[in-house]
Amino acid sequence: METETKAVGDGKVVEMSKGGRKIRRCELVLRFLGLALTLVAAIILGVDKETKVVPITITSTLPPIDVPVTAKWHHMSAFVYFVVANAIACTHAALSLILCLVSKNGQKGMKLVIIFLDLMMVALLFSGNGAAAAIGVIGYNGNSHVRWNKVCNVFTKFCNHVAVSIVLSLLGSLSFLLVILLIALSLPKHK
Amino acid sequence: MESTVPEPEKGVAPPPPPPPPTSPAGCFLYDIILRVLLFATTLVAVLVMVTSKQTEMTLVPQLQITMPVDAKFTQSPALVYFVAALSVACLYSIISALASFLAMSIRSHHTKTLLHFIFMDTLILAIVVAATGSAGAVAYVGLKGNSHTGWTKICNVYDTFCRHLAGSLAVSLATAILLIMLIMLSSHSLYSKIR
Repeated sequence: METETKAVGDGKVVEMSKGGRKIRRCELVLRFLGLALTLVAAIILGVDKETKVVPITITSTLPPIDVPVTAKWHHMSAFVYFVVANAIACTHAALSLILCLVSKNGQKGMKLVIIFLDLMMVALLFSGNGAAAAIGVIGYNGNSHVRWNKVCNVFTKFCNHVAVSIVLSLLGSLSFLLVILLIALSLPKHK
Repeated sequence: MESTVPEPEKGVAPPPPPPPPTSPAGCFLYDIILRVLLFATTLVAVLVMVTSKQTEMTLVPQLQITMPVDAKFTQSPALVYFVAALSVACLYSIISALASFLAMSIRSHHTKTLLHFIFMDTLILAIVVAATGSAGAVAYVGLKGNSHTGWTKICNVYDTFCRHLAGSLAVSLATAILLIMLIMLSSHSLYSKIR
């Protein structure tokens, strides 16, 4: 990429358009990856649901009562935020993919708008990942200081799905990050 | 990327456009100002979080006695991550402000410098935003509790602690906004650069 930047600086038009095309192809692939990964992450957490029968003791004299307890994603606001952030990022990826395919090399000023929107998506996705991961860690380990008990020894499948979803979404947000870097690389050649 | 329209994008491009002839020095001036602000906000966020310790008399159920119990940021991994990430951002802001100052004083090839700034700023943005998200999630559970998992709220007891958390989170949000502004400034001056 550095050599291409330099070549453009010297004004070699052929080099420039070739490098530009390569960057464009990379960008398309990365946007598609981001779309797919965030979509899958949102779906995995969105359909995640586990019901377990948990014995609950009301008083010590009576025998414990078995109560079915369900773990769902919308019981925890961090997971709701995660799913919504992924859905928004997925929509943005789809729209920008269409824009990339349709527009021929973009208008002037368009790139700055796109880079700004991509930055917003990176911020949204990373904060969603952070939130879901923090709650996941508490669910996995518990927190003895504030007496928040772990729940992952009961809802094992649910926790595994959450972990998978977070990892996928993290990969998706990394691809958004790379898209920003690619656009930044192609910025100086734009003139 | 071959261009179809030759010139007229200077008028289109958004907010802080220093006029192109003076572009490099002007943009680096704004850059340095923003980075100093970045340093201030990250430092404030870290300090507020670190000084958030609060001790309250609470009932310990195992022992059935009341004794003083601390609430500190080290008790939650998310808050430790928050402090670490914001400290990294603070260090980065010092280094990058120096680098920006150097770049302003050396009048030469700025394209590479700006590209490096964009890369590093984006990385730091990701780290800071993830830290804000994780600390915010933990603080929200601490504020509201969660009936489904039986996690009780703690902010009714540790009110000062929670207020410190909220202040720190707000300042780190401002940090994220500053970083976004920095990236937009760099990419704008990269975009409208005259070679």
